[in-house]
This record gives sequence, C-alpha cells and structure tokens, in this order.
Amino acid sequence: MAARTERRDFYEILGVGRDASPDEIQRAYRRLARKFHPDVNKDPEAQERFKDVSEAYDVLSDPDDRKRYDMFGHDFRHVPDGVDAATWARGRAAAGRRDRGSRSRGFNQDGRVDFDTDGFDPEEIFRDLFGSARRPGWGSVAGADQETELTISFDEAFHGGTRSVTIAGPNRTRTLEVAIPPGVIEGQRIRLAGQGGTGSGSGPDGDLYLVVRIAPHSRFRLEGRDVHVELPVSPWEAALGTSVSIATPGGAVQMRVPPGSSCGRRLRLRHRGMPNPRGDAGDLLAEVKIKVPRTLSDDERRLFEELAKSSTFDARRRR
Amino acid sequence: MTVALVRVPLLAIEQFAGLAGLHPDMARRLVSLGLLEASQDASGELWFSTSQVSVAARIQRLRAGLALNYAGVGVVIDLLDRIAELEAALHARPDYGGRP
Repeated sequence: MAARTERRDFYEILGVGRDASPDEIQRAYRRLARKFHPDVNKDPEAQERFKDVSEAYDVLSDPDDRKRYDMFGHDFRHVPDGVDAATWARGRAAAGRRDRGSRSRGFNQDGRVDFDTDGFDPEEIFRDLFGSARRPGWGSVAGADQETELTISFDEAFHGGTRSVTIAGPNRTRTLEVAIPPGVIEGQRIRLAGQGGTGSGSGPDGDLYLVVRIAPHSRFRLEGRDVHVELPVSPWEAALGTSVSIATPGGAVQMRVPPGSSCGRRLRLRHRGMPNPRGDAGDLLAEVKIKVPRTLSDDERRLFEELAKSSTFDARRRR
Repeated sequence: MTVALVRVPLLAIEQFAGLAGLHPDMARRLVSLGLLEASQDASGELWFSTSQVSVAARIQRLRAGLALNYAGVGVVIDLLDRIAELEAALHARPDYGGRP
C-alpha cells in the first residue's frame, strides 16, 4: 500500500519527458497498453500498471487537462477554471491552516466537478460520476483472469501443505493462504476464485491461477508423476545382485537389484512416485549407477587383479 | 447481480446480456462476428453457455483497453490462445529448465 501515498508523475508513468509531443505520448501509451493489458499480461501487477498508464494517458492526451496538470499536478481537477498556479498554491497553503469542516463543490459549465477545498479526495467521486461515461463500452465487465508462478519444493508437491502467497499490486497487495493438494505436478494450475483482476462496475473479479513450478530436488528428479533417483551400487553388488535400502519420497524401501545389472539399468517400483489425487500414483525409477572405490586396499587390488586375469568379459564388445 | 437458484445449462440472450454487461443487440452482433459462441433453437433464439460470459468480458476489455475493432479483437484472442497453448507445451517438456 505504500506506493499509493506518493502518486507517481504521469509523465514518469508513460516514460516521456515533460516536453513530449502529443505524438510521443500516444506512442508511449500504446506501447505500454499493449504490454500491460490484463488479457495480454497475466501478471497480477500488470492490471495496476495498465490502470496507471491509462489514467496518465487520459490526462496527458487532452491538451486542456495536460496544461492544467502541468500547472497544478495531481490536484488539477480540484482547481476551478481561471485560477493561476501561484494563486492556487497560496490558497492551498491557507486552506491547510483553515478549519476543514466546511467544503463546497459545484459543477461548472463543461460538466466537471469543481472543489474549492481539499478536505477529502474528490477524485473518487469524479471517477464514479464520469468514469463510465469516458469509457463507453467498459460498463460492468468481469475482471481478467491472472496467472502467477508458485515455486514449491519437491516435498511440498509430494505431501501437500499450505503456503502463504503474497500477490503484488499497488492497490491490492494481499497475502493468501493456499492449500497445496498432495501430488501436484509441474505446470499444474491451482485456481483461486475471485482473486484475479478487479471487475469494473458490478462485474465480478477474475480468478487467479497459480502455476506450479517444482524446485529441483538434490536426489529426486520428476518426470510427470514418475520420480527418478540414482541407485549407487558396488561392482560386485551389480554383478551378483543384492537387496538395498533406498530412499523414496515416501520413506525408505527395500529394493532388489537383480544380478547382472549394468550402469543405467532402470528398476521400477510401481506407485512409489508422486501421488495422484485422481488415479494411480506415479512410479519410482531407480537407475543403477556402479561406483568403484577411489583407492583400493591391498586385498581389494589382489582380488580385482585375479578377476581381471580369469574373466573373459569384454565391456567394449558389442552384443 | 442475480444468481440462478437452479443449474441452468444455457442462458437466454437477455440473461446472458445482463451477466455480461452487454446490450442484447451487441451480444447478437458478437455472435454474428464469430467472437461469441451460441446455439440457435428452432425459433431462432440464441442460447449461451455460461462460459461465454467470461469470453464476452475478455472481448470488451481488449476492445476498450487497446482501442481495437472487433475484427482485431478476434485476431488477438486467437493469437493469445495459441501462445498460451505453446507456452504450456513448452513448459511440459522435461528438458525445459529455465523460467520464462
């Protein structure tokens, strides 16, 4: 909310200089409108940017409004016609000291609301009165759906949980508690009804979709719901077969390594992968990886040399 | 806004127009432009599925926000949908490691 107290300069919002030509202003506006239109850019912040850009353009594209904005800044709509900048500045300073209880307002000939004191923010009323008239066709329109990425850990994806998600946006920065169902997968969309773009008029707000991204895990690699894991074994375990305890996301399980398992062999444990709320869980795929000791003891060296002498196995011969 | 108490699978044009914040004539025009989908019954009346309400909102936002005509809105919507599909397909690739 902090961003709103100090309103940004309209020229700054459009990224143009104060001496920009109407043509430059239009060009800057069109470029930004394309970039931040809530249907083009799903980022929750885009709608706020789009609103700011449109508001800035509304003012700066009207020669009269622009002149008054240059003179009086964001207050220009409160300033009655025919008042010069110096008088207004003096009047404002005096009004600040006066009692703010009495305020009056009126409509002048061109339909604008004029306020001669600044006790409250009349621009809200101005927008209510003229907002729809200035944008024909933008009546009660539902808000756009928005999309933002939510990166969760492998464990959160596997077990589910709740996550506080802070959605940015100068007017609507808010924190939501999001329940993550167990077994979400990469790219899955979690829908938060009514948390998307604000509707205009009585139009309902859009939905916010959180697109799940799962952060890489040090041991487990995901492919859809299948979980891949490396299974390190010694050369003799790979040759003779063994039964090893292997860590899976759901806890340790015993896995049988059949004799004659070469590097790269994939051993499948059915339904030990990512759970599936609507069906069978994925599989766990353990890939055999043969490790040898970096240095050999005298005994190990002797046995390996003996094996090398008596074995007829050629690892490089094509089968 | 009124909420139907029973589940209605299809909306009559007045009902649809009310929900979408459109004049019924405008809803008819958007159908003939191929921007909204509606089915026609034997008497020629148009019936809309509820999903078309958000489609109509999207059309109005694009038209007003980007100063597009309805033909342009149609192109933009087709392209945005295609991009969304392609991005989803790209993310689904196992070798896609980066962030957009």
